[in-house]
Amino acid sequence: MLVRLGFPLGLLLLAALASLIIALGIGSAQLSPGQVWQVVLGHLGDIGQDEGNALARTMVLELRLPRALSAFAVGGLLAVAGALMQVLLRNPLADPYVLGLSGGASIGALAAMLGGLGGLAISGSAFGGALVSTLLVFGLVHGSGSWTPSRLLLTGVVVAAGWGAVITLMLALSPAERLPGMLYWLMGDLSYARAPWSPLLLLLATCVIVMPLGRSLNVLARGPQQAAALGVAVRPLEWCIYIVASLLTAAAVTTAGSIGFVGLVVPHMLRLLLGNDQRLILPACALAGGTLLMLADTLARTMIAPEQLPVGVITALLGVPTFLFLLYRSR
Amino acid sequence: MANKTANQTLFKHRGATGPALLLSRLILSLSMLSGVVSNAVLADDHSRCEMDDRSRKVCLYTPAQRIATLSPGATELTYAAGAGDQVVAVVSYSDYPPEAKDVVSVGSHTRIDLEALVGLAPDLVIGWVTGNPAEQLETLEALGMPVFYIEPRNFEGVASAIERLARLAGTESAGQAVADNFRLRMAELAAQYRDREPVRTFYQVWDEPLMSVNDAHLIGQVIEICGGVNVFGEQARLVPRIDDEAVLAANPEAIVAGGMGEENRHWLTHWEQYSNLTAVADDNLFFVPPSLIQRPTPRLMEGSQILCEKLDIARQRRERD
Repeated sequence: MLVRLGFPLGLLLLAALASLIIALGIGSAQLSPGQVWQVVLGHLGDIGQDEGNALARTMVLELRLPRALSAFAVGGLLAVAGALMQVLLRNPLADPYVLGLSGGASIGALAAMLGGLGGLAISGSAFGGALVSTLLVFGLVHGSGSWTPSRLLLTGVVVAAGWGAVITLMLALSPAERLPGMLYWLMGDLSYARAPWSPLLLLLATCVIVMPLGRSLNVLARGPQQAAALGVAVRPLEWCIYIVASLLTAAAVTTAGSIGFVGLVVPHMLRLLLGNDQRLILPACALAGGTLLMLADTLARTMIAPEQLPVGVITALLGVPTFLFLLYRSR
Repeated sequence: MANKTANQTLFKHRGATGPALLLSRLILSLSMLSGVVSNAVLADDHSRCEMDDRSRKVCLYTPAQRIATLSPGATELTYAAGAGDQVVAVVSYSDYPPEAKDVVSVGSHTRIDLEALVGLAPDLVIGWVTGNPAEQLETLEALGMPVFYIEPRNFEGVASAIERLARLAGTESAGQAVADNFRLRMAELAAQYRDREPVRTFYQVWDEPLMSVNDAHLIGQVIEICGGVNVFGEQARLVPRIDDEAVLAANPEAIVAGGMGEENRHWLTHWEQYSNLTAVADDNLFFVPPSLIQRPTPRLMEGSQILCEKLDIARQRRERD
């Protein structure tokens, strides 16, 4: 058991560390691997902090590191949220982006930004938006008594389309000089991300909290009747999943705007490779999603430097062909 | 605070602070003894302090020698202030004066490549209040770089921005001359044209979507000193989005447009299909090169001169009829 879970997770952890090293080592400023290494060493052992290294230190520790860690946290959050939604809906299409959670969170955040609010207010507003979206979708589907995953999915997709229209309206009404910033933000962008703390902690906490639920989630993935027969409190668990997914999405959206396809593609790839055991899939999603976004962001900020690309473009460009391939193969 | 950090001590005295370092310590450090360079307490004897357009005081010990300008307008103003030789970083579309094209670009004004910028070690960053991402400029300040925000919203703002930039860069005399000349020239234009017969004017900023300006906009102010009346001057938004119908209803006597390029007049030919428009009937469709009037820089003198002369042509055509 421990080996079966530990081996893939260990590999993914190694991959995450490797991509962290890549993210720290590559940038538009040409630092040699030796310089980067010295910065890390100097930081570890308190040596080599001479003047010549000051610039390299700033680059690596104050520009690249916070951004890389934010990317990791956001990717992990989105992938875990996607995996949870897919269990909940027993539908491979489910992800926070498709189901309107990202849209709701984006509207909350954009409204706060337009209102001149900042910091915590934006996060709170984004969470509110994600929660409203959740309640709307679930409320509409539950209201009619019995519900099917496909009905929930359809409702989510339509709500997402509605949020899309509201976002377009907000963009059309906002001052012209703010447009480029808002558009970039909507495409997903990590250049704002400076404080990786809260998303990282949230990701860690989610993994710790959700892990014990793994068995129940495994049962739920087989269907609510079976889960109920096996003694799982289905309704509370479903609500719990949805609220956790909203929280994760809101945290991800406030850190980096709305980034698509991480929540969709990462859980799928892992399920194909590792099977459908949620105890393994959820932490694996956290690691793999984080790794993917960290690498995508490294590409986004270096590909045509000094011009910066929004990371959402890279994840979508990577995600779309991957998803099409998976879909084609699964026929 | 960044603006208290003397420019020549940029990296030396930058304290090891901020969540990034704390976090990296947590992850990387086994000992708790990593080197915290305490923020040196700097004496408050800065020789040059200027108020920026966000009403923040930015102080430098010595004139800025390595200036980064984060908008095409800021680049132009810094060159106008006589500090062109000190500019080490610009953003895309910094195309005037031509020398600015040879300066290293650090991305676009909406997304700045912070690494490239920090690598150039500027000792003064000229930011754009509404155009640059606030978070990125705050990051620069957290790294100890003084950020001076500018966004001239009227003629005096242009002149004073040049003066303030010149003082920060130590090129006072050159900057003062340019600023004085700008004030004088704009005042002359106003004296010459402001009180002439009003001409109802529509200024077209963009064609798809169709956009104009209101009276608070710098271009609206140019129309005003030229003795024009901006038909969309009362609009609530600085750059209102309108449609053809609104223009037909307003029935301006003159239509002034920029265009995508400097010679591109096709925005004006669009209006020729409406022969009922007074501006079309009188043939008052005027082109003003956008770079001369759409940027808050000394070139506005030239653009204003052209616009004033065009509106005067409209007046003469009226007398001829």
